[in-house]
Amino acid sequence: MIVNILSALVVMTAFVFGTLLLFSHADSSFEYKMLVMAQTAESIGSSSFTLSNLIEQGSPYIGNLSAPITIVDFSDFQCHLCARHVKNTEPLINETYIQTGQVALVFKHLPNRGFDSMGAHIAAQCANDQGKFWQFYKLLYENQQAIDSGWVSKDNLKKFASQIPGLEKEQFNTCFDSQTYKESIDNDVILAHSQGFFDTPSFIVVDSTDGSDPEIIRGAQPFPAFQSVIEKKLDELKK
Amino acid sequence: MISLPLSVKVVFSIPTYILIAAAVAIPFWILFNAFDQLIFFDPIWIFYLPEDAITGFILTTIVTILIGMLVSMNIYVIRHSKLKISRGSLFSGSSLSIISGVCSSCSSVGFLLISTFGSIGIIASNLLTIYQIPLRIISAAILFFALYYIHKRIVQSCVMDFSANNMKTDQKYPEKSDI
Repeated sequence: MIVNILSALVVMTAFVFGTLLLFSHADSSFEYKMLVMAQTAESIGSSSFTLSNLIEQGSPYIGNLSAPITIVDFSDFQCHLCARHVKNTEPLINETYIQTGQVALVFKHLPNRGFDSMGAHIAAQCANDQGKFWQFYKLLYENQQAIDSGWVSKDNLKKFASQIPGLEKEQFNTCFDSQTYKESIDNDVILAHSQGFFDTPSFIVVDSTDGSDPEIIRGAQPFPAFQSVIEKKLDELKK
Repeated sequence: MISLPLSVKVVFSIPTYILIAAAVAIPFWILFNAFDQLIFFDPIWIFYLPEDAITGFILTTIVTILIGMLVSMNIYVIRHSKLKISRGSLFSGSSLSIISGVCSSCSSVGFLLISTFGSIGIIASNLLTIYQIPLRIISAAILFFALYYIHKRIVQSCVMDFSANNMKTDQKYPEKSDI
């Protein structure tokens, strides 16, 4: 009888940890393939993550240009965990580290949650042309609905843009309709995959000057997780 | 005052079954909450319950407790098989609990489908994301049904029918004069 009980427990435990193992393995093997692809196409080094490089690439950012640490955020506007991060964690990071000039935040596009995501990201990058990315970004997350439910249809994206004070509508529409930034967003996706990022949100925290010492944070983690990584880096930089 | 069902009282009056239930429920609870991004292990160990996750968390906790109880009660039934309870109850109860447990985890696992299955993964993930809460409610309902089923099995085995028509024995209750 004890054997029966032990067998049942072993089966249950194996099921739970097997599931974890299966998914971590599936994910890592896929990551490996993508890494090989990305490395074959183009070698992407840590220099890609220097703050100056990221800004040159046209990525939206907030914070002081001389901030010693950069957080690169790979997100999708349709991802509800990204909205969770924007609602709960980002304001604390902003208040504690960005406004005090210690951290700069750079946004990278990783549209992988649905078929409508690409349009939302192109529109956001068009808003960035007019210096309105963060307003557009906030507006999208505040109004997020179910994935591919039509809430980021072309018409709705134009409506969202028209709600942003000071945004030139004609310029935005021309940029959006011509899909100006599709290639740039595709490059962000390649960059994300080269770093092994397939889920959103994913973050990489680096030294701003040379993009070195990357620390990866996966998922919509709470503020203390970011705090531990940032404080560790700030301590290292002081030494 | 609400009293616990007899089967629950009988099974969980024995500490071993409480331990078995906990040993089953806790790993499932960790697994489901890790998929829901409420528990993190890297860069620090942390549990986090944002407002938008409260409903899902409550349902997940109910489901994992039910899974633990069901497995434990099924083990009780096997151990007391001399009560002539069909071992089929193990399969009906446990398989339902595991299926619904998997179902519950799928709603979170869906997020991982995209990277593995491309466009089909996107569709599957969208459906699982949209119907995450209903899926968990269905899981809990299936588990409650399984629990009711196993409860009935345990309780029925304890009932004695004293009605004269059903007393199939040729022995008589001793009279005072017989002693």
